[in-house]
This record gives sequence, C-alpha cells and structure tokens, in this order.
Amino acid sequence: MNAANKRWVPFAFLSPYLLLYLAFGLFPIVFSFYVSLTSWDGIGGKTFVGWDNYKFLFNPDSHFFQSVGNTLLFVALTLPVQIVLGLVIATLLYSRWVKWRGLFQLIHFLPYIVTPVAVGLMFNLLFDWQTGVVNKVLLKLGLVDEGIYWLGEPLYARMVIVLMLIWKGFGYTMVFYLAGLANVPKDLHEAAQVDGASGLRSFFSITLPLLKPVTVFIVITGIIGGFQLLEEPMLLLTGSGMGSSVAVIGGPDRCCLTTVWNMYDTAYGSTTRYGLGAAIAYGLCVIIAAFSFVGARFYRGDSE
Amino acid sequence: MSPALKKTLATLTMALLSVFSLLPFYMMTIMGTYRNEELFANIVLVPGSYLLENLKTVAASRFDLVYLNSLIVSLSSTALSVFVSASAGFAFAKHEFRHKNKIFSFVLLTMMIPGQLGLVAYVIEMRYLHLSGTLVPLILPWVANAFGVYWMTQFIRSSVPTEVLESAKIDGCSDIGLFFRMVIPFIYPAITTLSLLVFLWSWNNYLLPLIIINKPELYTIPLGITSLGDAYRTDLAAQILGLTLGTLPVLVLFAVGSKSFIRGLTAGSVKG
Repeated sequence: MNAANKRWVPFAFLSPYLLLYLAFGLFPIVFSFYVSLTSWDGIGGKTFVGWDNYKFLFNPDSHFFQSVGNTLLFVALTLPVQIVLGLVIATLLYSRWVKWRGLFQLIHFLPYIVTPVAVGLMFNLLFDWQTGVVNKVLLKLGLVDEGIYWLGEPLYARMVIVLMLIWKGFGYTMVFYLAGLANVPKDLHEAAQVDGASGLRSFFSITLPLLKPVTVFIVITGIIGGFQLLEEPMLLLTGSGMGSSVAVIGGPDRCCLTTVWNMYDTAYGSTTRYGLGAAIAYGLCVIIAAFSFVGARFYRGDSE
Repeated sequence: MSPALKKTLATLTMALLSVFSLLPFYMMTIMGTYRNEELFANIVLVPGSYLLENLKTVAASRFDLVYLNSLIVSLSSTALSVFVSASAGFAFAKHEFRHKNKIFSFVLLTMMIPGQLGLVAYVIEMRYLHLSGTLVPLILPWVANAFGVYWMTQFIRSSVPTEVLESAKIDGCSDIGLFFRMVIPFIYPAITTLSLLVFLWSWNNYLLPLIIINKPELYTIPLGITSLGDAYRTDLAAQILGLTLGTLPVLVLFAVGSKSFIRGLTAGSVKG
C-alpha cells in the first residue's frame, strides 16, 4: 500500500500488541530466568546462586525428573488410545452411516471444553472411596467385598487419571481427524472402488497415509499439551475438601505429580522457593523444546 | 452387510460411546438434585426432589459474585484481545515496513512458548505494580495473544481486498477509519472464532488465579468451584450443584458456537 510517506502508521497498529507483549510477556520470561539463578522466597533479599537451582533439578529431592517421568507416562498411556478412538469415531462419523452426525460430534467434544478443574472434581466424586458411584456399583454387583481405595493406591490413582484423560481428550483428536478427512480427495476412493478394493483396504492404503500429517500434528500438540497437565490430577487427588479424599501433594507416593504441579508446589505450595520454581519452568521449557524440535523434523521430513 | 444394517450398527456404536462421554456429566447433574444423606446411602440414577433446597444453599455462598468476576475477566480479555490482535494483524497483512518478516517470525515463535515459563516473574511484576488485588492480572496475558495475531493476519490477508482499501484511501479515508470501517466488517467470522477461543481459555484458567487472587471477593469460576468445599464442607450435594452451575456457561456457549470454535482450533493443522 502507498504508505511510504507515513512510515509510522504500521507501527501504530502494531504497537498495542508489541508493547503489551514486551511488558507482560517477554519481560517476565527474561526476569524469570534471572530469578532462576537466585535463591529467593519472595520476601527477603535475593541471593545469586548461579546454576545451583538447575543442578538441584538432578537431585531426587526436587522431584523434577520424577514429575517429568509421571507426565510422560500419562502421555504415553493416553495419547495412543485417544488417537485410535478419535480416528475410528471420526471415520464412522464421516462415513455417513451414522445419523445425527452433528449431535454426536458435539457430545464427544464436550469433555474437552469443560473447565479442567471441574473434570478433576467430577472424577473425584465418581471414584470417591465412600460416596463414589463406581464403588457403589461394584459393591452392588458383588464384584468386591469392600470399596476400593481408588485415589489412595498409586496404581489405581494412575489408572483413574489415564481413564479421565482419555475421556477428556478423544473428542479433540476426533475433531482434527474430521477436518483431515474432509481434505482427502473423494475420487481416490472411487478409483480404488472401481479397481475392486474393499472399504477397509482403501482406508488403510489411502486414507491413513493421507492423514499422517494430522497424526503427527496431534502427537506433537498432544505431547506439548500433556506436559502442561495440572488441574485434572490436582483436583482429582486433592479434591479441595470434596468427599473424603486424601490431600497429598502429587497423590500417593507422588505417583501422579506432574511437572507443572511440581512447579506450583515448589514456588507457591509446600515451599516458596521462587528461584527453584522458575528453574523448573525453564527445565520444562527445554524438554518441550526438545520434543518440538524432534517433532518438527518429523513433520518436515514427512511432507517432502 | 446390508446398508441398513451398517447404518444401525454404526449409529448404535456412536450412541454407546456417547453414554461414555455423557455419563460423568449426567451423574454430576443428578447428584445435585438430592439431599446430602441420600447420596451416601444409595446409587442415584434419576433426578431427585431436593434441587431447590440445594440451589438456596449455593446462592447463600455468593456464587453470583464468582460468576460476575468470571464474566468481567472473560469479556474484557476477549474484547481487548480481539482488538489488539486485529490491529496487529492489519499491520502485518496490509502494510510494508522494515523487519516485517522477522517480527512476524518472532510472533510465531512466541506461540510455542509454554505459558508457565514467565509465571514466577509475572506474579512478582503484578505485585510490584500493585495490581495483585485486582482482576487485571487475569486479563493481561490474553491481550498480548500471539495466536490471535497469527489468526487475524492470515484472515485479513486472505479476505480483505487491497483494492478496496486503496480506493477508500484515495477517497480520503484516514488510516484509523480504514481499520474500523473497511477491515473490521470484512473479518466478522474471524472475530467470532477468536472471541470464542479467548473466552473459553480465560474462563477455564486456573493456575494464574490460584496464585495471584487471594481475596474470595475476586474468585473466578474455577477458584469458586474448588472453594465450594470450604464453604459448606458437610453438604456434598450443594457442592456438586455448584460444580454443575460452574460448568454450565461453557457448555451453552459451545453448543451455540461449536462450528466456529472447531474451525478455529483446527486452523493451521490441516493444509488448505
């Protein structure tokens, strides 16, 4: 556009975003890095400690790698199920064999948009040792003699979290596969049909390969999103006074402590170690960056 | 298999899966309509008769104030974010300036940074600026929204014709006038989608209010529903009803705008 005489105009339109981002986005990120090099409880003075906080991340007492491991475990157990379930449902919905397509799409996507805090509390209620419906049904059917302590045993607590995350997330993958399926050219399937390929065959040799970019995208965003997991396990296991749940940081034996939960607890929960909290955030960012880098490699190598 | 049988089987499968998706919501809603003691005694599957009493208990805890706070935060975040993003998008899409591509790449890069990275210092910054006793800290992060800028830039580039802008300029339209009278009317669909996304993100946000907000008068919905347990620890049924009420607005909003919402979410992931 003819704006050579008024060079400030584009910057005037850009400045609200740039100034706000510099002040409330970039500045805290840079300042957090400085905080991560200090020992500080937010009230007293800061003591510069260099890389000590980062070294402490390797100490088991920081629970950093334990929490990263827990988070990765949850991603590894839920993402594949979400992908398969999402893909199957999207394919069924797209096939036009299903009536009320819009309604089913809406229903399956609801769990994804509901406030994560509410999701955690809902499952806290369902799996409560005393009042939970799950135990009541099991007792009534005579499958158990006394209620199972779902949220008090590490293995069971992890199982409930995995179930909860699958319930919450498969609608998200479904939506992306539906969008991907809409981009698969119809004539390819028609040609395959003319050549005598069965529906299943053409799904595996035509649809699935063409959906690969969508799958790679879901895996990358699923890992990045999974690393930011906090509310669902936190409210599931602490329940904030709902029912008769146990209030332990990270659940029994910290088996469900996620990385962001660990950061919250270090800086604002059990301790107020701001420096260490900031170091955990940077450690998390490095791990996410590594996964994104590998993922982006995959993505690019794919489209070539 | 005959087509009719296929159709029935597929629809039946979907219906069964829908039960899996809806069951937790259903249980939650039903449990809120019973007397507290009944919840401990038996399995409840059909609506009870105690809804009004539970509603009274919830109303007594000033849940309306929590709603109001959430509305203030989400509506302000949405309005400001849409305006700031559209303005920056206009600059990127329809203007030429030095280092434009570099600045745009930088915006895209910031989209990848997890929100928790600057959290510790952001909280200190808000305290230093004496904003921690207000709702402002919950609004600011959404206003400088890299996704919004990216979204608006793409949309303005593809759907606002440059010729229209140029002829309006020849007719003497000012730059501000161009933005409000020429660009905005072309991008209503993009505004709807971005509004829904920002509203939902800010409505569901938990970590930031949990750290910053320390006065019950400023609680937003996620904090409000977690603190229901403190307000009446003994009345589980009322707590559950509060939970239902807290999730309701998002469900309604999504039922109304689901198409727009999904379009925004899947944008960029699928080429085309």
